[in-house]
Amino acid sequence: MSLESPWNRMSLESPYKHMILESPWNRIHREPGGNNLEFYTAFNEKRPIRLNAQTREFAWESLHGRYGEESLRTPVVAVDDIIGFERMTEYGKYDAAIARIAEMAPIRICEFETVSGAATLGGAIDHVVPAFWRGGKLWDSVSHVTLGFGKVLETGIDGIAQELILRLADPALGAPQIEILESMRNTIGALRVWHKRYLEALARVKPAIHGNLIHVPFKPARHFHEAVQSLWFVFAFERLCGNWPGIGRIDEMLGGFLKRDLASGVLTLDEAREILAGFFIKGCEWIRRDIPEDCGDAHHYQNIVLSGMDVDGQDVTNEVTYLVLDIVEELGIGDFPVSVRIGGNTPEKLLTRMAEVIRHGGGIVAAYNEPLILKSLTEFGYSTAEARRFANDGCWEVQVPGKTHFGYYPFDSLKILLNDTLGLNGTPALFDDFGSLYAKYLADLKRAVEGIYRDTVRDRTGQLPGADWHWRTAIPCSAVSMLTEGCIESGLSYLGGGARYNVMSPHIGGAPDAGNSLYAIHKLVFEERKVSFSGLMAILQSNWEGQEALRQYVLNQYTYYGNDHDEADAFTCNVLNDFAGIVAELKGRCPILFPAGVSTFGRQIEWAPFRTAVPFGRRKGDILSSNTSPTPGTDSAGATAMIRSYCKADLSRQANGAALDVKLHHTAVQGENGVESLVALLKGFVALGGFFLQPDVVDATVLRLAQANPEDYKTLSVRVSGWNARFVTLGPEWQEMVIERTAQGV
Amino acid sequence: MLLSITNIQRFSTHDGPGVRTTVFFQGCPLRCAWCHNPETQSGCPMLFYVAGRCIGCGACVKACPNGAHSMHPFGRTGRHDYDATLCKGCFRCTEACPAKAVEPVSRMLDPVEIMEIVLKDKVFYGEKGGITLSGGEPLLQAGGCLELLRLAKDNGLNTVVETAGHFDATHLAPIAALTDLFLWDFKDGNAKRHKEYTGVSNALILKNLRAADALGSKILLRSMLAKGINLEEEHLHSLAETASGLKHCIGVELLSYHPYGGSKSEQMGLGDNGRKDWIPSAEEMRLAGETLHRLMRPGIREPE
Ligand code: SF4
Ligand code: SF4
Repeated sequence: MSLESPWNRMSLESPYKHMILESPWNRIHREPGGNNLEFYTAFNEKRPIRLNAQTREFAWESLHGRYGEESLRTPVVAVDDIIGFERMTEYGKYDAAIARIAEMAPIRICEFETVSGAATLGGAIDHVVPAFWRGGKLWDSVSHVTLGFGKVLETGIDGIAQELILRLADPALGAPQIEILESMRNTIGALRVWHKRYLEALARVKPAIHGNLIHVPFKPARHFHEAVQSLWFVFAFERLCGNWPGIGRIDEMLGGFLKRDLASGVLTLDEAREILAGFFIKGCEWIRRDIPEDCGDAHHYQNIVLSGMDVDGQDVTNEVTYLVLDIVEELGIGDFPVSVRIGGNTPEKLLTRMAEVIRHGGGIVAAYNEPLILKSLTEFGYSTAEARRFANDGCWEVQVPGKTHFGYYPFDSLKILLNDTLGLNGTPALFDDFGSLYAKYLADLKRAVEGIYRDTVRDRTGQLPGADWHWRTAIPCSAVSMLTEGCIESGLSYLGGGARYNVMSPHIGGAPDAGNSLYAIHKLVFEERKVSFSGLMAILQSNWEGQEALRQYVLNQYTYYGNDHDEADAFTCNVLNDFAGIVAELKGRCPILFPAGVSTFGRQIEWAPFRTAVPFGRRKGDILSSNTSPTPGTDSAGATAMIRSYCKADLSRQANGAALDVKLHHTAVQGENGVESLVALLKGFVALGGFFLQPDVVDATVLRLAQANPEDYKTLSVRVSGWNARFVTLGPEWQEMVIERTAQGV
Repeated sequence: MLLSITNIQRFSTHDGPGVRTTVFFQGCPLRCAWCHNPETQSGCPMLFYVAGRCIGCGACVKACPNGAHSMHPFGRTGRHDYDATLCKGCFRCTEACPAKAVEPVSRMLDPVEIMEIVLKDKVFYGEKGGITLSGGEPLLQAGGCLELLRLAKDNGLNTVVETAGHFDATHLAPIAALTDLFLWDFKDGNAKRHKEYTGVSNALILKNLRAADALGSKILLRSMLAKGINLEEEHLHSLAETASGLKHCIGVELLSYHPYGGSKSEQMGLGDNGRKDWIPSAEEMRLAGETLHRLMRPGIREPE
């Protein structure tokens, strides 16, 4: 066994094998009582308290990294001693590794937990299968997927096992299919082992949870507490195996159970809230005690989608919807980004509750415009029923949960303009009029998008898009395949084409910057003729050196995207719409679905050094626009103007999604009228045809304080760019970016 | 008809119910020592100058016919200086400045033009939101206010007028007829102090206030409390008494003084008028709220 790897710290004779981690942390660090704990809020009133003191304490220690730290002490299991491992097939190795994880991962039972099961191998936090051979990783794990947890509640894992047995009886199956299906069965076998270990450990210490776990997740859940346990246990197992699944429509999945329990009187709403809070608190078990500086730690893609219509068009909003909002409002947990599908049928009460949560800051609750997305998905080609099922992948990219294999391909549309069209990285181009410039840009954009399509397809199939179609062999991922519709039926894995929908989405980034650049060239060179085309190119190549007056002129005298200025907005909207058109032309050439989307997810930071100076006055290296949001510093007309600018593009053509980040100043949403104003923003966003709105309430002063005293602000979470992160875990550029974007609405 | 407007602020959430667009009028007959919008006081300098934006290019020096701009050869090398007292408001420099370091304090706008901007956010107003006329004192330009309010009503918007109450009483009835809510500033119940700190007597203000109430106008009284000035019993008593005497008063809002106009005053070359020692503590504000609540007739909304 090599000892070089940091992951090898866990020995084979693990003392954790059957041990309940009983840390002295409790007695040493525990605060005097849960009600004295304060979870950060940007609002001028404290967060409401509905949960009992123990639950709040549990949340506090979890958010402060107690369990993450524990997990890091047991990063991975080693498979070195498995006899004949080296000679096994890839699936054989995978099954052995998952079995080893199930046997050896430490069992953790927390004092105040309401559901049991824990992803205690810290290596999973690094997105790998936490079973190492000779100190090295074997496989990456899977994320950006929402699994079919609804099915687990309905049929139990036994139902899936049964399905596998039936499927395997088919004599027409080929050997590879059999291997994949057997691997799913073996994964279920591993889950049984892990389950049995919990039952043994729980029998004496937690009889109630033990009682639930006897039944679930193998049998269908019978009541609310069992349903939450079932969902949590399978979710935790997936994470134990390294995967980072999203949860999906939790209120739709759990609402019926709660309704029955409330009606029969076996449960009160307050009890249900405590149970569900346990789920959310357990979901913070990967938060680390130390503060790794990165792009934020709180994004393991465990997304939640609330409300919206069911397959029959009925509103699913129920008590669970409100309990989720209660919980994140009280505890400020941002680890499960909550996206609410709003639109025509959304109850007024739900909008109000969303606003009440949003005003505390943390960026936890975001909004989908359901009517627009349903239109978008059906126009893209999904049936009405499938479209109505939509949830997301873990950030906000729209997908049909439990049956979609998803990946996205981000690219920098600004860099294409600067380098390919304008030639700023070499010999600059020359254009006599704006029309020919824009035509060349679209041609360059088209080439880039087609390249992505070709590469994506080749990546998955080893072929170019064509008639003769088969999937390339992929790394094993049976834990994910077994909960993805289509895989059992086809005998293919999730990564190997088994999912009902295989979606690869090109994501345009920097579109507002490209739009603003085109606008500035149009004004400065072709309309006002203040400088010649080649003159401007020379200026950009020398990074605006010695041209401060002209730079100030383009920065200040023109209005850019995001200020509700029709002329300027048109340039960005054209880029977005034309991109969607280019993508649409590729439709139907192969079974991979290729919907357009808009995102940067913070890549504007990594892209910055590779861009030249831009025509609208920003220098090389400046951090520019995120997602579909205005370039920082160019928008001054407030949140409503920004939303209007964004909605001028036909966002329904971005079938994978287009997010707008709106940071509101905390004073703008104070008082009773603050809630009404937020509700009005949400309604306006729907009425105008937005896609996905990520509002956050922040106080730049507090963010500065948090930069200086990170220890005091560990629970301050902010919306970054599709997920939430604790502010103190963001690297310096990320922190600056968040602070820079905090001024709207003042 | 052109109106002198200092700013049109969209997504205002503190100037009446719902989401609003607030139109700030230039000009005010009062001279409050604590003014938050000193640029709206009439007779003040006509330019904002933001030194931090200035790149020292000298374009304004060339543009100005009155020598209001100059460059400093010494000291902050190449930096530029602006003398507000020499400015005649021709705005040649604001056109010339590439950096928007000098900007007109107000613009002359047509009511139709203003309404176009206001209507852009109609989708966000819902049933409650709409337009707020503020300032300055909007009723110094009563004709324009009337026109704007009429346009707002034609478009089904909720209307709020924020006033200090010191205006020609003949304007009241037509304005009141088109106003859904007045936000009425009640600066000080002590007449002598009112004169001292705002430059005018409070007699006309109170007279107009009662007249508006008699016309059936909904009124929200607002009073900003500054420590050492009006944060004391007499003012709170008279505020409570005035509110209680109004039939259509929907509430009293107490605001805490904040040295807010300070940086703006600096930008206009007025020097900092912010006074840190005037800021009341949170506890003092809470007590003032309690006192007021005790003194007021029931039915008036509790102060926030
Ligand atoms: S507005 Fe006219 S007079 Fe005043 S400083 Fe500018 S150029 Fe000179
Ligand atoms: S024109 Fe503007 S930037 Fe140039 S010196 Fe004058 S104020 Fe400064």
